[in-house]
Amino acid sequence: MIEQLFNGLVSGAVYALMASGLSLIWGTLKMLNFAHGEFYMLGGFGVYLGLLLAGFSPLLAVPLAMLGAGVVGIVAGRLVIHPLLDQPGWDVSPVIATLGLSILFQNLALHLWGERFKNIPYYIEGGVDLLGIRMAWQRVLIVAVTVVMIAVVVIALRRTWWGRALRATAQDRDAAMLAGINVYAVYLWTMGLAAALAALAAAMLAPIYSVNPWMGTALLLKAFIVCVLGGLGSLGGAILGGILLGTTESLTVILWSSEWKDVVAFVLLILVLWVRPAGLLGTREW
Amino acid sequence: MSEVTGAVARARLALPARLVEGGRAYFWVAAAIAVVPAISADPYFIHILILSMMHAALVSSWNLLTGYAGLFSFGHQAFFGLGAYVSALMAMRLGLSPWLTLFAGGVVAAGAGLLIALPCLRLRAPPYIAIATLGFAEICRFVATNLVGLTRGELGLWGIPEMTALTVPGVGTLSFTGQRVPYFYLMLGLWVAIMALLYRLIRSPFGLALKSVRDSQDAAESLGVDITRTKVAAFVISAFLAGLVGSFYAHYVLILTPSAVLSVGVMVEIVAMTLVGGLGTFLGPTLGAFTLTLMLEYLRALGEYRLLIYGALLIVIILFMPEGAVQRLLPRRARF
Repeated sequence: MIEQLFNGLVSGAVYALMASGLSLIWGTLKMLNFAHGEFYMLGGFGVYLGLLLAGFSPLLAVPLAMLGAGVVGIVAGRLVIHPLLDQPGWDVSPVIATLGLSILFQNLALHLWGERFKNIPYYIEGGVDLLGIRMAWQRVLIVAVTVVMIAVVVIALRRTWWGRALRATAQDRDAAMLAGINVYAVYLWTMGLAAALAALAAAMLAPIYSVNPWMGTALLLKAFIVCVLGGLGSLGGAILGGILLGTTESLTVILWSSEWKDVVAFVLLILVLWVRPAGLLGTREW
Repeated sequence: MSEVTGAVARARLALPARLVEGGRAYFWVAAAIAVVPAISADPYFIHILILSMMHAALVSSWNLLTGYAGLFSFGHQAFFGLGAYVSALMAMRLGLSPWLTLFAGGVVAAGAGLLIALPCLRLRAPPYIAIATLGFAEICRFVATNLVGLTRGELGLWGIPEMTALTVPGVGTLSFTGQRVPYFYLMLGLWVAIMALLYRLIRSPFGLALKSVRDSQDAAESLGVDITRTKVAAFVISAFLAGLVGSFYAHYVLILTPSAVLSVGVMVEIVAMTLVGGLGTFLGPTLGAFTLTLMLEYLRALGEYRLLIYGALLIVIILFMPEGAVQRLLPRRARF
């Protein structure tokens, strides 16, 4: 029971990492990124390549994977999203463009690395006994890394010039431009940061599941649910929504069955959209 | 690609604009297709034409909702798959005639359309509607996967009855068992009926209401358009047509899996075909459906690179020709 809830917290942490990137992109660019699952997948393969092919330690391989995914995010943003900005049809065009990116990345990965599932060893072996249950260090590590990473992002958004520029762009793009902020550069950096966060989520989860070209698809849909639960565009909402969804899923597993947890998650999504479309924290709060 | 667009360009030169114009072009195309079985008995070619018409009807039903009413649904596979499963299961478990369940599938899909229209009424931003409809479609997929006792899940529902023999006065009895040509004419009939209905709808006051909701909800409301009714009607009609096409698919292909008929992949194909043809135009979805279906079938040599090209195609089209690739080659008067 407690073990299930702890597992819910672990998946909640990963959802929060994914959803905060999606939410940052929504907040600044006002678009849904359907390629976010593939940033996650690229992060997974990045870690796999760094750890098992280059023989790096996780301390080097994980940041490198984040950097790689971040660069891919920026390049994709520059080549595919940037030309669509300020064009008619912005409501729909980025959805289609990122959908195209998603299919492209999935199949590129399939051709480059094959369809066999790649396993990655745990970064830390063993576990710890706490509250009468045994928790693997890897899972504790996921929660700890998520907390630290989100704290770093929140502080950077509040304290640094770059973070203020991002928040200004999210609040009022034209005013930000008047204040001398290059909003187009902010858009690209946001894409890069979001991709790096997704890659971190994949790097932390890869030893528990495995790395394959389709690993991002299911998680992308979960991240959408989390964003809507918390309120699209709200960073706090993404964290809260992630924990809420993770807990709901583990409660479903305890009370009902693991096959139906996805159905419960999507029903929750539609109920929230019906009753309170703004989500729990619909106000933009970064 | 160049071969196909080249063919379309030549067709444009050959046909006076008067004939391509408006909905009449459809009946020329349909008439041309109708004589194909008399010329070519190649079952593979007939099969591809059936698939093309099926896709054209499905994509056009999505186009009513998204292109004309501006409701960016990303869950059309739910209606298609529900129609397919309901029709197949009713024919299998209740022993009803497929001719009856064909419409039952459409009706159940229309009910689902009504259900998902309700939460979407409050949502104005297209991405929110996309998430809501996508979530609904995923619920349908997981339910079909999990109810193994009823649907056999991913193992696949097989043993779906074929359409039963039909006696046409003057022609005789048409047997569908193991035959392609009767299915061909059934799909042709469905397709022409669906397109005629959509043509009438789009030209009617209801069609104007749809477009006004798409272009400006506030303006539409101030002019007395009942937005709630218009949106719900768009969802219900679009879902009914998609369910009807899904039912046909079930009794034609005879095997269903959730990943084949209820997955996001179906939606991706619909979006790609619409984009190739042109969103919110009457001819666009049909042109896109025929172009992509024929292209993908005859370019099987590309094998595993097909999906790679698919993704790249989506990006290239949205970047460089968002009004649709094939539309560009048609005379301006034919675009509407």
